[in-house]
Amino acid sequence: MQFSSALLENAVNEFAKLPGIGKKTALRLVLHLLKQDTGEVTHFSDIIAKMRSEIKFCQRCFNVADGDICSICANSMRKQEIICVVETIRDVIAIESTQQFNGTYHVLGGVISPLDGIGPDQLNIESLANRIKKEQTQELIFALNPNIQGDTTIYYIQKKLQGLSCRITTIARGIAFGGELEYADEMTLARSLQNRLPVESYVNSR
Amino acid sequence: MLSISAISIFQFKNYSVRSFSFSERIVGICGKNGMGKTNLLDAIHYLCFTKSYFTRLDANNVQQGKNGFRLEGNFVLQDRPEKAVCVLRETGRKELSINEQVYEKFSQHIGRYPCVIIAPDDAELITGDSKERRTFLDSLLSQLDPDYLQQLILYKKVIEQRNSLLKLFAETGTKDLSLLDVLDEQLVKPGELIFNKRKEFLVSFLPIAKHLYQEIAQQPEDISLFYESDLLQASFTELLKASRQKDCLAQRSTAGVHRDDLEINFGKQLFKNIASQGQRKSLLFALKLAEMEVIRKEKHFAPLLLLDDVFEKLDEERISNLLRKVCVENDGQVFITDTNEERLTDHLEALSVNYQLVSL
Repeated sequence: MQFSSALLENAVNEFAKLPGIGKKTALRLVLHLLKQDTGEVTHFSDIIAKMRSEIKFCQRCFNVADGDICSICANSMRKQEIICVVETIRDVIAIESTQQFNGTYHVLGGVISPLDGIGPDQLNIESLANRIKKEQTQELIFALNPNIQGDTTIYYIQKKLQGLSCRITTIARGIAFGGELEYADEMTLARSLQNRLPVESYVNSR
Repeated sequence: MLSISAISIFQFKNYSVRSFSFSERIVGICGKNGMGKTNLLDAIHYLCFTKSYFTRLDANNVQQGKNGFRLEGNFVLQDRPEKAVCVLRETGRKELSINEQVYEKFSQHIGRYPCVIIAPDDAELITGDSKERRTFLDSLLSQLDPDYLQQLILYKKVIEQRNSLLKLFAETGTKDLSLLDVLDEQLVKPGELIFNKRKEFLVSFLPIAKHLYQEIAQQPEDISLFYESDLLQASFTELLKASRQKDCLAQRSTAGVHRDDLEINFGKQLFKNIASQGQRKSLLFALKLAEMEVIRKEKHFAPLLLLDDVFEKLDEERISNLLRKVCVENDGQVFITDTNEERLTDHLEALSVNYQLVSL
């Protein structure tokens, strides 16, 4: 792309660094900003800069927060003795959207994968163990992706917590709600059969 | 019953536009070097496995200076005609359709037209390292048992993670043994499953291969085939524990089913060290024909058999034994290439079967 202005070019290049944004989309966004009042664009960039510089991570669960403690942890209506362990902040948002969970979270910041150079030390596992000891947590629910790295992480943490009276569970894996058996892949279907549910608890949970 | 009645080839390897029709069950293909005998077999293989037997890159199969190719085969499966079309578009996209129905996943096609190919380079299976024999075993078992393939993929992924962790130990000088424990536990289940399936399968497979070898050789040769695995001595859990220190030093996993082998002995010595070229080749046929036998049992019809340049280095007697096995005792369709038209017709005449000769 040829630009008549280096300023414009720099802006386009910066936008193009964002995930999912290519050069053409970046140009469209920049030209849109160019059409707006200087004040509006300053407001836009200030908000982004402020977001980055002032945002904090909850000292307890590592979720994003405005203060030292996030709004979920600070909410006394939520069950503090139940912790849902997730990989990233995006997973917190996904589970919150279900409106089915009324406990607290713990964001690991990734999963164990030596292949990617991520060991337990790089994740918030030590702090989770300390937290469970200190808070007398009753239940730990793992909501990690159903793959090998997720499983490794679950087993590792479970081993680490041996001897504590905390109950450890993981989210169910199987046929998607509203899905059709015919179109489910064999592995998912086999797993659903293995971990089948008694009908009473199934009917009650709906 | 499975057969091909015709194939049209467009811009594939050395062919620009060419059609062949096959009217007989036995098809001999003759021609000088570089005329495209192997390429014709490969075109058939392509329609069965959606890939070439010889090169990995699809683009390598396109005729020089052209873009894209098209293969069209008229198959007959259980008395029903089917038209299989494989197209590599100019963009590099590959499509495969049966009776105009395009597949979403190529893996769904594999196994529909079972096919066994024997090519000169396959001797690696006998003389090469253990990886060749594991690959042979894995691809055969995966065709018969989809769960085996799933477990194999799982096993390979965990092994990769474990090896990375062992490297990480060496680089950082730290040892998080509890993480290694977890990976070991994850490895045991697929590992033992793969081991048990291989063991169970080979109990029936190896005697078939041995028997076929004796039949091709037509004289008692003292060969023996076994399954070699670390897991035969101890449980996988114990093995991992025992080899842990070694693994840490070597920075990779030194025990497990990824080191299995098929050991072939001739008398008391290793077959590959002392066997002649012809004997190696006979054993290769025995293994491949055993593969064909197993597929036939599973599918209830014989797979297509593609024999590329198989007569080299075999004595006359072994050639005629082999041909009797594949042409008379086998009821599937067979394609045989040879540079020497006279030799091929002589052998086929001797069998008194109907055959067709394609000269390139």
